[in-house]
Amino acid sequence: MNESLKMVVVLAVIAMASAGILSVVYGTTSVIIEENAARALESSVFEVLPNVSRVEIIRRSADELGVDDPKEMREQEQRTTLIYQGIDSNEQVVGYAFVGEANGYGGVIRILVGVDEVTDEILNIKVLSHTETPGLGSRIEDESFRSRFIGKTVEDPIAINRDIDNISGATVSATAAADAVRQGFVNASAVYRGGE
Amino acid sequence: MSLFTILLSALLVNNFVLVRFLGICPFMGVSKQVDSAIGMGLATTFVMVVAAAATWLIQWFILEPFGLPFLQNMSFILVIASMVQLVEMFLHKTSPGLYRAMGIFLPLITTNCAILGLAIMAVQNSYTFIETVIFALGGGLGFTLALILLAGIREELQFADIPKPLRGAGIAFILAGLLSLAFGGFAGLV
Amino acid sequence: MRLFKDFVRGLWAENPTFRLLIGLCPTLAVTTSAINGMSMGLATAFVLLCSSALISLLKNVIPGKVRIPAYIIVIATFVTIVDLVMNAYMPDLHQVLGLFIPLIVVNCIVLGRAEAFASKNGVVSSAVDGLGMGLGFTWALTLLGSIREILGAGSIFGVALLPEGTTTLGIMALPPGAFITLGVLIAVMNMIAARQKKTS
Repeated sequence: MNESLKMVVVLAVIAMASAGILSVVYGTTSVIIEENAARALESSVFEVLPNVSRVEIIRRSADELGVDDPKEMREQEQRTTLIYQGIDSNEQVVGYAFVGEANGYGGVIRILVGVDEVTDEILNIKVLSHTETPGLGSRIEDESFRSRFIGKTVEDPIAINRDIDNISGATVSATAAADAVRQGFVNASAVYRGGE
Repeated sequence: MSLFTILLSALLVNNFVLVRFLGICPFMGVSKQVDSAIGMGLATTFVMVVAAAATWLIQWFILEPFGLPFLQNMSFILVIASMVQLVEMFLHKTSPGLYRAMGIFLPLITTNCAILGLAIMAVQNSYTFIETVIFALGGGLGFTLALILLAGIREELQFADIPKPLRGAGIAFILAGLLSLAFGGFAGLV
Repeated sequence: MRLFKDFVRGLWAENPTFRLLIGLCPTLAVTTSAINGMSMGLATAFVLLCSSALISLLKNVIPGKVRIPAYIIVIATFVTIVDLVMNAYMPDLHQVLGLFIPLIVVNCIVLGRAEAFASKNGVVSSAVDGLGMGLGFTWALTLLGSIREILGAGSIFGVALLPEGTTTLGIMALPPGAFITLGVLIAVMNMIAARQKKTS
């Protein structure tokens, strides 16, 4: 009895110490990790929004998220879509950029979408990361495929074989790419249009 | 993404052993005979499916809601280790025949990185529960397939005159390289 | 002198990659270039050094029956620290090594040294043993990465060796190249070891 009690106590103490150390390390590093990811994205925003001179991240206020605690707020923001606002040299908002995700053939496909402020049409898209088959699924990166999305609005179906032509031999990847764009668009437009 | 594509991708195109390099240690260690390769492969597949289901529940019902992503690695490996123990005890009680066939491989499975790797990849791809189970099944069967293929070739090589330094692991790795080259042919099979 | 012996053991006589053939998954997966192989090796060496030292410190406190789960917790803690710190300060490298950083936890070298050495020896020799094994793993991965980078991309540590436009063996950077290079390297190490035995 005494021995098994000792086993439980020792394991519990080790596990607790470990969890404590990790939560401290996580607390410090997670901020930097997020910053890195946000900064890496920022440079891509310039590629999907023309004539932009600076980029701002749209952060929702604590009221909108319904929480007061700053730590909890950061976690909330992490879970919801991050939206970038592209601003030109005259301080006019050019458009918005956001990330859409969907599962492709080999893993997650992440696509950055740029949308015009006035017309609400897609200006350009950029495939941020994917693990599709080189030479087949990877053709979602090609200009000829990406240009098929230009001009679409959130009201369009944005679906393969409906208003987006398929890539022959890479149906799964192309479908996932369209899903990513549509999902991101629907989620993000609800946020930036809702805020106006 | 359909379930069939997930299965096919894990089984052939992104074969866990030959393309993703997961589970290399048992792949080299238990591939001398076809019989033991089949036993090891099936035992691993079984643990993979059970562990993938368990880690999915942990991720989406404990780690995610409580904001504890940094405990993922630790909780997953502990769950896998206990799952292996449970499977061992369960087989011992219910099916002594199966236990005799698989038993000796079970303790080795805990440190098979294919299982932890699979659990983490299923989370990264945010698979649903069913998708995770199918992914695990495909991964496990892919592991089994690679193991049986290599074991078959190694059995044939027993009486071949291999240069001394290449004997054992050396020639096995080169064979695995050729198998991997052959599996490269599955790329693009959408 | 004993400490020196503990240190060099991992470098050659019991080299984890070439002699013991353990920890093979990251060995094959991340050695597409010299720098990747070296980084993976150093990350593993750090985990080995820290976990061996801590486990040796705790060896009298941990009851024998629960030692394996206790070791796993200690190792997983250091692995997660490496994972988080790399993600924060070296995001590009973290992206490349990806899945194989969290998988250090199931690297047989780490748990193997904890069980076979650190649980029976003092803190200093355990730390030295861990470091030796870790560096033995590192040089093996760096060598494998260098060979694959030279043949596959015509460069080493990112510095081009061949003039631009030279055809390289792209297959060396792909999975088959990893298996074949390691197979040949193991054969070469076997030859060297056999020759050493003959002369001594």
